Amino acid sequence: MSESPHDLPEAAERRLAGGAFSSGLSVSDFGACLEMGLEPVGLVQGFCAMHQGAYAMGGTLSRNLSPFGGSGSGYVQNYQCPHGMISNEHRMWGQNYEQTWVQDAWNQGFTSAYDRMLEEATTLGAHGVVGVIDTQMPLGDVGVIEFHLRGTAVKVLDMPAPTSSPWTTYLAGQRLAKVFEAGYVPVSIVATVSSVRVWAYCVTEYLMEGFGGTMWSNATNSSSPIEIDQIVTAHTWSRQRVRSLARTQLRGDALHGAAVQLAQREFQKGDLEIEALLRGNRIRRFKDFDPLPVPQPTVRLS
Amino acid sequence: MTNQARAKSSVDAKAEVRRAVASLAQPAPNAQSTTSDLSIDEELNLHSIGWEPIELVSGVSLFSTPVGLWNWGEGEITSASEAHAQAFKYAIARIHKEAADVGGHGVVGVHIERSVYSTHVEVSLLGTAVRPVGTKSFEASNVFVSDLSARDFTLLMVAGWEPLGLATGASFVYAPRRTMGTVLQQQSQNVELKNYTEAMYSSRESAMERMQAVAIELKGAGVVGVKVVEGPMPFAAHAVGFAAWGTVVRLAKDAHHLIQPQMVVSLNDLGVAFDAQSLH
Repeated sequence: MSESPHDLPEAAERRLAGGAFSSGLSVSDFGACLEMGLEPVGLVQGFCAMHQGAYAMGGTLSRNLSPFGGSGSGYVQNYQCPHGMISNEHRMWGQNYEQTWVQDAWNQGFTSAYDRMLEEATTLGAHGVVGVIDTQMPLGDVGVIEFHLRGTAVKVLDMPAPTSSPWTTYLAGQRLAKVFEAGYVPVSIVATVSSVRVWAYCVTEYLMEGFGGTMWSNATNSSSPIEIDQIVTAHTWSRQRVRSLARTQLRGDALHGAAVQLAQREFQKGDLEIEALLRGNRIRRFKDFDPLPVPQPTVRLS
Repeated sequence: MTNQARAKSSVDAKAEVRRAVASLAQPAPNAQSTTSDLSIDEELNLHSIGWEPIELVSGVSLFSTPVGLWNWGEGEITSASEAHAQAFKYAIARIHKEAADVGGHGVVGVHIERSVYSTHVEVSLLGTAVRPVGTKSFEASNVFVSDLSARDFTLLMVAGWEPLGLATGASFVYAPRRTMGTVLQQQSQNVELKNYTEAMYSSRESAMERMQAVAIELKGAGVVGVKVVEGPMPFAAHAVGFAAWGTVVRLAKDAHHLIQPQMVVSLNDLGVAFDAQSLH
């Protein structure tokens, strides 16, 4: 994540300079944080409303209107009709391509909100931000997403004032205590997105409608199921891409507690947009591997 | 825990956190990054038996089925059953390969998403590749894929068993239409619709048999955690389906190790079981 932008609103500065702390922690998480020597100093937040570029004719995004346009710098894979016949309805071409502008807009929105949250935490002199909750909500206008991050800034008791950007984690309370127990220290939250658009060519279109025999599918046996290669490739790519994007933020650390959310929109048979969102905690080992004893199984009597 | 012991442990926890946070001043380690979707509890469970997560891995497959498949016929809808089997087979092969490529000994906690449409069958698998801490090489053919959670995997291993792989079986069957005469005759009666009952039995037996065949092929003793999805197909009035999947296991040691759980009574106060997440 980049450095804080130093654009904290004056009202926020006044509020943060006040005497009482605020916190998003539950009572039990609050207790567990105190037990670890983490003192909450403020509920910090960051917002960013991001407009995603439209597919304007003649603009840099106009390629999206045509499957012939390519995707610029991202992943592109072309599929060509094997039948050699031409008609208006027959899809001679197909393409999978990475929607780099969707990914860029998402990253920019998320990073801006994240940096703004960190700026508040830095103002409070916090060492870290725990219990981060992030949401992405569509705003009223088309193609506008509101990024909102919030978490509880904490100071580590009996430690000198921080000299670097605060660490962040989605965890708080006992779950965070167990991370330290396991020998890890939180570094930052990680969130990345991959987006791929599938323009079906004739074979994919017919297969998605249920194939009607050997003519369109090139199958040797008309009743045998056939794998839909173009869509499998797009799905596999989106999952691999989101993981490789996350890995670029790890720099040798581990990603822990990750969750992958997949969304798929189908415009026509075989015309899809696949989006994968991966979130997790970047953590670093600070002591050698030292496993707990095997836990004692228990039966709860209620 | 006595107050004194508790105070000591609290001091230790604080010192540990200070030591951990101070270590962030050092540059990031020059190591291979790992990724995992395990919770911290699951990771601690794995650690306790000497295993660690390495990488998030996935496998996907979509298989198309012939047009008009579900409308009319008799007996099993073999193309649909085959599409289901193939989609699972390819998705498992892909997640297996990804795990083997990163040096995993197995994949735990595999989330299985499976959809059967009138035109195609879709299977998506996502899990975390794991291995005993620090080990490197492993025979790729021995890598297991399991939908057991890391917690269940730990319990299984402690009990002296090991997972071998995912077993799946599915069967889709036509429920023959009744003749118009039978429909009219049965209209005013309480009567079992044997065509549906028999179709359900037929699909269940075929699916379970297929799952069992995979278990035998993997040289397993049985299948644990079997999930079952069954019922009429939402898009075809006269077709029923039954699918089952679970993890194939076998004894890794000479005998089952008896786990003797301790009885506990929780003194947790439900009044404070509040989570900031619930504010959403």
